[in-house]
Amino acid sequence: MITIPPYLKKGDTIGIVCPSGFMPSENAETCLQTLQNWGYKVKIGSTLGNQFNYFSGTDKQRIQDLQNMLNDSSIKAILCARGGYGLSRMIDAIDFQKFKKHPKWIIGFSDITVLHAHIYQHFQIATLHAPMAAAFNGEGYKNEYIASLKNAISGIDANYTCATHPFNKSGTAEGDLIGGNLAMVAHLVGSHSSYKTRHKILFLEDVGEYLYNIDRMMIQLKRAELFKHLKGLIIGGFSDLKDTATPFGMDVQSIIHSHIKDLKIPICFNFPVSHETENVALKVGVKHELKVGKEGVSLKEVF
Amino acid sequence: MNRKHFLNTILPATLATTLFKKVNASNWKNIQPTIEPAYLNPGDTIGITCPASPTEYNKLIGIKALKKWDLNVQIGKTVGKHWQRFAGTDNERAADLQAMLDDDNIKAIVFAKGGYGSMRMIDKIVWDNFIQKPKWLIGFSDVTTIHLHVHANFEIPTIHGDMVTGFTDNPKDISANTLHDILFGNRVEYSVNGHYMNREGYATGKLVGGNLSLLQACTGSKSEINTDGKILFIEDVSEYKYTIDRMLMTLKRSGKLANLAGLVVGQFTATKKNEEEPFPASIEEIIMDKVNEYNYPVCFNFPSGHVPYNYALKMGVAYDLNVSTKNVTLFEKFQANAPTPNAPSIMMQDTIPKILENKAP
Repeated sequence: MITIPPYLKKGDTIGIVCPSGFMPSENAETCLQTLQNWGYKVKIGSTLGNQFNYFSGTDKQRIQDLQNMLNDSSIKAILCARGGYGLSRMIDAIDFQKFKKHPKWIIGFSDITVLHAHIYQHFQIATLHAPMAAAFNGEGYKNEYIASLKNAISGIDANYTCATHPFNKSGTAEGDLIGGNLAMVAHLVGSHSSYKTRHKILFLEDVGEYLYNIDRMMIQLKRAELFKHLKGLIIGGFSDLKDTATPFGMDVQSIIHSHIKDLKIPICFNFPVSHETENVALKVGVKHELKVGKEGVSLKEVF
Repeated sequence: MNRKHFLNTILPATLATTLFKKVNASNWKNIQPTIEPAYLNPGDTIGITCPASPTEYNKLIGIKALKKWDLNVQIGKTVGKHWQRFAGTDNERAADLQAMLDDDNIKAIVFAKGGYGSMRMIDKIVWDNFIQKPKWLIGFSDVTTIHLHVHANFEIPTIHGDMVTGFTDNPKDISANTLHDILFGNRVEYSVNGHYMNREGYATGKLVGGNLSLLQACTGSKSEINTDGKILFIEDVSEYKYTIDRMLMTLKRSGKLANLAGLVVGQFTATKKNEEEPFPASIEEIIMDKVNEYNYPVCFNFPSGHVPYNYALKMGVAYDLNVSTKNVTLFEKFQANAPTPNAPSIMMQDTIPKILENKAP
């Protein structure tokens, strides 16, 4: 039975951390302002604006910051300002005991997939796969995706639709929604943080990868039997992709489709979860209903 | 006396008494003599197939060397074939390899080229004949998938070495010469430069591994190897440091680094640089960071990988590894099939590259 952290009320404090890559403070300004406009308080962690070359601090510093936020009972949600790479290096040093007793929303995506998978598998506590600080910048803070983040933390149930796609497979499925970044899901295979996908609805997205690597990661997931007993599969955005001198010869959706077309479950392509603007807030670990039909797709929380 | 019978009965027993003191009893299973494919003789036929990326016949520069070694060369149907970025469809590439695995006339298979693609067809291969009548499989890079699969499932040795689009018949070609020596039954005895970051020590274990990206990609699959008590070899090319870090974390968090007998780090070439966000560690530091808490010997800069001096490695057999900061030796432990080689060594000792010097910064 999944534990849902308490939804946020006006005046609640959201902690802001950078658990992985470096982010200059100014890039999070709009995000911080918006959260406050929504009526929340923000507590800025030591890793926002801090830099250790690629990272937002040494492993020790990043562990410390995340640990403090997890342990601080006045903080009702932790928003990761950016992803990058780094959570894998820290996750085994984090003590989740206090978090287990007083769960709070963990928000983010990309590298944050490590937290989504780890927390779901170990503690059965829901987390929020959602836009991070950069997504608020420019006019971003006004868009429906940032709004979906606001809705999610305030307790409004998710109910998303998206257009149909030629590769979609019709059907209805119910199951815990899990997933995140394809490269991170692949990277976690074999570890105790790895998603167990039996009877789940899995969503995947990625960015900046070579087409052949997308192919290879799909094969890895297939050979590790992550697709074998799924209830449903959601393919999100795969953007900013690269190709080798000898082109792969297929577009990314065809590549993905070739590996999953024989699955007898509802499958939807082009769902708005991605590294681009289209990135709806998704509650990882919570039961959802996925309906794929000729007219379109719906994904909503169920109880 | 039937050699196989001898090896299976008397030899392990006598070895046990001489080695027990040196070898941790629990590592015994990881080092006992392996049944190896028969070494080649002049006149034998070697097959060439493309399991991954495409290539043309005129790119198979290694054929000159193979012929110089008096081998008959059988060119597979996938040479010259193109399908998208592969040397034929997955089925065609599988069929080509399958035919060679099942052909008793072919005593070894040397892959033409790596790139990407072995993972797409490995599960189509039926290994029954190969298990009964093993033959040497030679390649590296993407072909690591095949090495891992064969070691994980059948414990049959393979050769990690340069491929036919890589090695030449130049008398000083280390990739070619070391491959020749192994194929014709010469014992592997390498002595190479040390590295200031080497973690000193002695290890005995079967050598496994190969390309780091493929090691990671095979996690969770039927091709996943158990590294307990083994000497793990890793190399890679053209990856970002953060990706190398991440792949090593996959190995670490899936238990692949905890119980090694030793770690041999080969060449990490053409590492991509992110100028805006440099990774705050060298490759050696990245690696050492992952194995800091263990005691086994670690050697860096071993001369195997995506380099012109790709020392061939017999994988899946036991070695004695001796690591110091000054020098590293990797000596094959047993000579199962051929106490005397079918053709003498052609590896010229004076070709050991000076570029392997490792001065502390």
